[in-house]
Amino acid sequence: MTPVQLAILVLLLPLGSAAVIALFLRRQGTLASILSTAACAGLAAVALQLVFSNVRFADSFSWLQVGDLDITLGIKFDDLAALMLAIVAIVGLCVHVFSLGYMSHDGAKARYFGGLSIFMFSMLGIVFADNLFMMFIFWELVGFSSWLLINHFCDKQSAADASKKAFITNRVGDFGFLLGIVWCYHAFGTVNIGELGALAEAKFAAGETMIAGIPLLLFCGAVGKSAQLPLHVWLPDAMEGPTPVSALIHAATMVAAGIYMLCRLEPLFVAAPAALDVVMWIGVVTAVYAAFCAITQSDIKKVLAYSTLSQLGYMVAAFGLGRLPETQTVEGVTQTYLLSAGAGIAMFHLMTHAFFKALLFLGSGSVIHGCHHEQNIFKMGGLASRMKFTFVTFTLGVLAIIGFPMLSGFFSKDAILLLAFEKNTLVFGLLAFTAVLTSFYMIRMWKLVFLGKPRSDEAAHAHEGGFSMTLPLLVLAVLAVVGGYSFILDNAVFSNVFNDVPDSHNHHHAHNVVFATSIGVMALGSLVAYFFYKNDSVDTLAAKSPAAFSGLSFLKAFPDDLYNYYVAKIQQRFALFVNFLEQIFLAGLIVRGIAGVVGLFGMGARALHVGNLHAYVYWFLIGAVLVWGFASGLF
Amino acid sequence: MNIGLHHFIVLSALLFAIGFFGVLLRKNTLVIYMCLELMLVATTLALVAFSRFNGTVDGNVFVFFILTVAAAEVAVGLAIIVALFRRRQTVQVEELNALKN
Repeated sequence: MTPVQLAILVLLLPLGSAAVIALFLRRQGTLASILSTAACAGLAAVALQLVFSNVRFADSFSWLQVGDLDITLGIKFDDLAALMLAIVAIVGLCVHVFSLGYMSHDGAKARYFGGLSIFMFSMLGIVFADNLFMMFIFWELVGFSSWLLINHFCDKQSAADASKKAFITNRVGDFGFLLGIVWCYHAFGTVNIGELGALAEAKFAAGETMIAGIPLLLFCGAVGKSAQLPLHVWLPDAMEGPTPVSALIHAATMVAAGIYMLCRLEPLFVAAPAALDVVMWIGVVTAVYAAFCAITQSDIKKVLAYSTLSQLGYMVAAFGLGRLPETQTVEGVTQTYLLSAGAGIAMFHLMTHAFFKALLFLGSGSVIHGCHHEQNIFKMGGLASRMKFTFVTFTLGVLAIIGFPMLSGFFSKDAILLLAFEKNTLVFGLLAFTAVLTSFYMIRMWKLVFLGKPRSDEAAHAHEGGFSMTLPLLVLAVLAVVGGYSFILDNAVFSNVFNDVPDSHNHHHAHNVVFATSIGVMALGSLVAYFFYKNDSVDTLAAKSPAAFSGLSFLKAFPDDLYNYYVAKIQQRFALFVNFLEQIFLAGLIVRGIAGVVGLFGMGARALHVGNLHAYVYWFLIGAVLVWGFASGLF
Repeated sequence: MNIGLHHFIVLSALLFAIGFFGVLLRKNTLVIYMCLELMLVATTLALVAFSRFNGTVDGNVFVFFILTVAAAEVAVGLAIIVALFRRRQTVQVEELNALKN
């Protein structure tokens, strides 16, 4: 098969699985789960073969023609797409296998696995899309599948609310995205990613500045999907969905789609420095803010959710830092290159984050499953001896995210810190501070869950899940350890992405500062958390310093309260007012008014219909007289 | 007494009036139908008279057409009335008000 056919096969396997499940297997949960997992395994095999056989191609066909507008469906398979494809395929397969165990007693398995399949299809569509319209179509599809899967436990009011919140919040961002696409088409006459990149690159090379509105509107889409401030509110609530879904959609892949979209359009942003600055600051603020919020959470999944927000903020900030000039001396000639460092590092961190965060979420799923669906970390404790395998893999995940040397997070986080150090000292300070908070809240959670004595019956009787739940943990743990070496090993597969990542650990003054900072902040946060938190059933921070605790809680609740106030008090009242106007003028005067006139006429005409032949003869006579009078000009 | 055009026209008008008031006032569908035919014949008479006194054949041609159409119409109309009677056992106008009630 040609590579194009293979790529289409990758796209169609999960779609076929979803269609078969939706049409025929709605009552056969076990069969549906096997089919969905088999489809995912098949697509992962084909995808990895495609990625590592080093073929890169682009192909498209015209799908819809309206006048000058020609919308194509196409595949742009470059190194960036290959990297994303590999991530989605690997994490997707792990999550499918994990779900076999985690969801084995669920009553609606068919719906769940059908949802996973349709999600895989939509996500792969984003990965392959070669133009913004196509990307937008799949962008909406992942929004739909995210809604479907958050709402899996649809009997629960909180799950139903969370899914609606996720959907509506994403709509806000997507509206901006759509406007950006339309403006893009208006300004450049194309929405093809490759052509847009070339146009923007030409402008950048000529030293011109592009209008910042287009990239900023496109960024709105990423703000919604990747849950950046101020549209981050849906992601913590989305934890109402099943834990494997949180791992796949709300940590590793879908929320990373925003970052992926930014990296796809990197030249567009680089050509508009003002937009790039906004992107950077939104990322930095999100990273710091979410890290603060994570400190007070008591739900194991909410801690991880805020951690995801914070790490996504990291990636957006890295992207926003932009390009890095690098001088190279080749054969006595010194040349200065501009590395696409921001995009490269963002993708690098996206990859390592996908591995260790999926590991952490699946580990938390294993913990939740073991503790009979207890999610409160203050009711856990002492799980290290009861769930040894989960403990080891989860610990590796924790070490990776806090940047423990030689694990994957260490490389990607240091690359971000290095770029920040070179470009903007304030951002560097804030991101380093976020790293302190990251290790603080992760070690806090880790200690409360795994160390000490069990604080509830559930935790005391915790048990390891089956083989299908431990195997994905093992695979992801290995990737979380070695993932960081993928660019150091000078690997040719993703060279166009990773060649732009500056090596943060060779001999250079800046690198030493970054290295020292990275180790220092990690040690600081971890040690403080380790010695501060007691294995107790109340939050030590809340007990010792209620003011700080309530301050952080307020910080967390503030955006939700603000939006609630806005929706209930401002938007709702405005809607009532508009409804009032509509009732009076549109429905009242125009619609009912015309209907009333016609109705009155009908009532009059109905009076003529008496059912007596003689009466009709009189009507005829009157009619004839009228026609005669009219014809002879009497009226 | 010399018979002129106005005699024919008055006769025609009288016939037409009898037909017209018959249609208006009689209750029996068959009679109403006969009155309709009477009005048709009244106009035919007027046309023949005009044709005769003008010395042209235009009116006569009209009359041929009217007679043909009237013959066809009688065939259909009488058939309808007979069918109506078979079904309803009446041809009284005030009892044929199914469209209203």
